[in-house]
Amino acid sequence: MKISKLLLQAPFFACLFMVLSACTTTEIDEFRQSTTQIQTDESIVILGRRQSNAYETEGEFVECVANVVASGSDGINVIPETQFLDEMFPFFEPRTAPMRTDHLAQLMEQEVAAQKFEDFGISYIVWLDGLTQRSQESGSISCAVGPGGGGCFGFGTWVDDSNFEAEIWDLDNLSTVGAISADANGQSYLPAIVIPIPLLARVESNACSGMGQQLKTFLRGNV
Amino acid sequence: MLVKMSGLKQLFTGFRFLTPVTLSMLLAGCSASVINIEGNYPSPLVNQLPLTLGVIYDDNFSNYSFTEIDEYSGDDQYIINSGASQVDLFNTILPAVFSQVVFLESADDIASHPELDMIFQPGIEEFQVGLPQKTRLNVYEIWVKYNMRLSAPDGNSIADWVMTAYGKSPQETFGSVDAGVNEAAVEAFRDLAATFSLGFANIPEVNDWLRTNNVL
Repeated sequence: MKISKLLLQAPFFACLFMVLSACTTTEIDEFRQSTTQIQTDESIVILGRRQSNAYETEGEFVECVANVVASGSDGINVIPETQFLDEMFPFFEPRTAPMRTDHLAQLMEQEVAAQKFEDFGISYIVWLDGLTQRSQESGSISCAVGPGGGGCFGFGTWVDDSNFEAEIWDLDNLSTVGAISADANGQSYLPAIVIPIPLLARVESNACSGMGQQLKTFLRGNV
Repeated sequence: MLVKMSGLKQLFTGFRFLTPVTLSMLLAGCSASVINIEGNYPSPLVNQLPLTLGVIYDDNFSNYSFTEIDEYSGDDQYIINSGASQVDLFNTILPAVFSQVVFLESADDIASHPELDMIFQPGIEEFQVGLPQKTRLNVYEIWVKYNMRLSAPDGNSIADWVMTAYGKSPQETFGSVDAGVNEAAVEAFRDLAATFSLGFANIPEVNDWLRTNNVL
């Protein structure tokens, strides 16, 4: 009797968990300074800013955005970040990378660098800067193991907040053509009744997806 | 006294099988973790200087090892061997910066290479490691202070300058301390390679020498 009652309640709990795990808010803002229209034979490179001592833009996030931009029938050719950094070495290392477009103009005066950009067929550089921070952590979970088995009991919750900004540089005009920001936040829950059940807010992946889609639209020149 | 001695002997005989196990457990608990830095370094994309450079890596440099001490126990915590990787680094960047590079065993070999324009000898003055468990930051950090010495084949000094390198790697990306420290060290060595290859000709004394010898 009890088992059949539990089975009846299971879909309710599953739905509740799905609703709880999906509570992520994502906001994408675009600021356009010039028109853009990338051609099919042109490429872009997406680079993470790593100048700050306090944090660095995660390589995984950069790769995620690159995958979103490159995917689909309207995908754009993206040069992998690691390949670009190695082949352009030493011009895009944390201490030597151009911070502004006038620095990029100085870099392009060097024949070896300009030639390499031409070899890659790069029309736009996208600089990603930002991080995901965790806050409002509360609750506690205790786990115990005994001769008859083990288990956990308790409840934990936290908030993840992702803030990323993409600055887009046009290599033809050596100017900034726009910026896109992605802010996402969401609360994750970790109830533990015998086993911990993680209900994670997909904050960073939502920021990545939103940023990637918006970048694609921006570079294609779609309004 | 004899009774006591035989008693002790019996005691040790009884527990002798435990000794190797106990010892190995104690040693495992106390021994430092050895991290051998390994990385691949790209060749820098710079204009070559038309010079023949002689390079000497002394033993202190090519076998450089840093020991991080546990601040609570005072024991060795991590032994970071970076000499071989730093030699790899310079072996990659120097042939990109100079048109000819001759690797010398010691200063005694200079006389048998009359084609040399200058002799370069890198050295490490300081090496620091920042571990997340100590710094409370979410990154592994490596900071290295180098002393670079450049001299003419006759032994006269051309330049003697200090360079610093910094590298960090996020803690969450790496599952182990070894991998985190290795990545931070490779980042630091790349940092050095970048600033060296772009800034070598701008070191004031080097720049003077290059202009005096019509290289620039």
